[in-house]
Amino acid sequence: MSSPSTETSRLETVRLWDPLLRIYHWLLAFCVIAAWGLGKFGPDVMTLHFYFGYAVLGLLAFRLVWGFIGPEHARFGNFAYGPFAILRYGVGMFRRRPSYWRGHNPLGGAFVFIILGVLLAQAVTGLFADPEDYINVGPLAEYAGSDGARQALAWHDLLGWWVLGLTALHIAAIGFYRRWKNEDLIRPMLTGVKTVRKEA
Amino acid sequence: MRKILMASALIALPLTAFAAPAEDVAEARKGFYKLLGIEMDGLVSMVKGETEYSAEKAQGHAADIKTLTQYNMGDIYAPGTSNADLPGKTRALPAIWEDGAGVQEKGMAFVKAVENLNAVAVDGKDELAKAVQQLGGACKACHDDYRAKDF
Repeated sequence: MSSPSTETSRLETVRLWDPLLRIYHWLLAFCVIAAWGLGKFGPDVMTLHFYFGYAVLGLLAFRLVWGFIGPEHARFGNFAYGPFAILRYGVGMFRRRPSYWRGHNPLGGAFVFIILGVLLAQAVTGLFADPEDYINVGPLAEYAGSDGARQALAWHDLLGWWVLGLTALHIAAIGFYRRWKNEDLIRPMLTGVKTVRKEA
Repeated sequence: MRKILMASALIALPLTAFAAPAEDVAEARKGFYKLLGIEMDGLVSMVKGETEYSAEKAQGHAADIKTLTQYNMGDIYAPGTSNADLPGKTRALPAIWEDGAGVQEKGMAFVKAVENLNAVAVDGKDELAKAVQQLGGACKACHDDYRAKDF
């Protein structure tokens, strides 16, 4: 076990998250929450829900591109870990000290892939869904046929609860890092700057 | 005694035959909404501009929908015909039969929307669009609470 001073000497504060990624993150959070709330509690004519859904699709398209051509820590390859690395991180994460991880940690990286996949599926099923109320028909529902449009609606409904659960898990994890591990993950997503372990 | 039993069996038999089989009820119910649906399709295509607005046609669709609201729904909502009773055959949730007040309220909103539609259908495309939105909202209100998303 190293003393605190040597621990500090192994750390550095760096620019981790690029500006576009941060803007994307907060826009996505806003659009997903808005689309979800409008879907459940919004007016009968769901035009705004549709617009926020399109915005989510656009943001996901950006993320897909950024995952291949963006800066190091935005790239998918940077946080795609194998099951053993994910498991090892998951076991060690309950230690009461900051992770000082540079980028997405293995478990958080797996979460990114899952939530991006679920959000994409949610947005796409919405395009094909037909609730048969003649006012809120998905723009591509006519290409799905009536069975397809109904199944899309059923998935859109189910995935809505997945989105809620994953968002709650995400916020709970941020709270866990703050309270239990004494590591603030919100500020780095606002400023881009994070204290991380020096690379060997 | 035996004679009485025979006689009562003869009387009872036609009585049970009066109640339609549950599956037929579910079929008829879907048929009712299909009728409603094709009239709505005619209106929506005018609102969207896929077909040209015609006061006469709009009034015709509105009148047909009004006719449908005069049908007594009791028979096609006979008890024992929810999606719990007939899995895979209907999406009607048991809540319909458990929440009479809620169904009543939404049904009244539907009837009001149909009345409004009939009042304004000839007043031009914009007025029709608003009335169709109101009616669509009435469709949505029931679908949200009383219809399963899939079979």
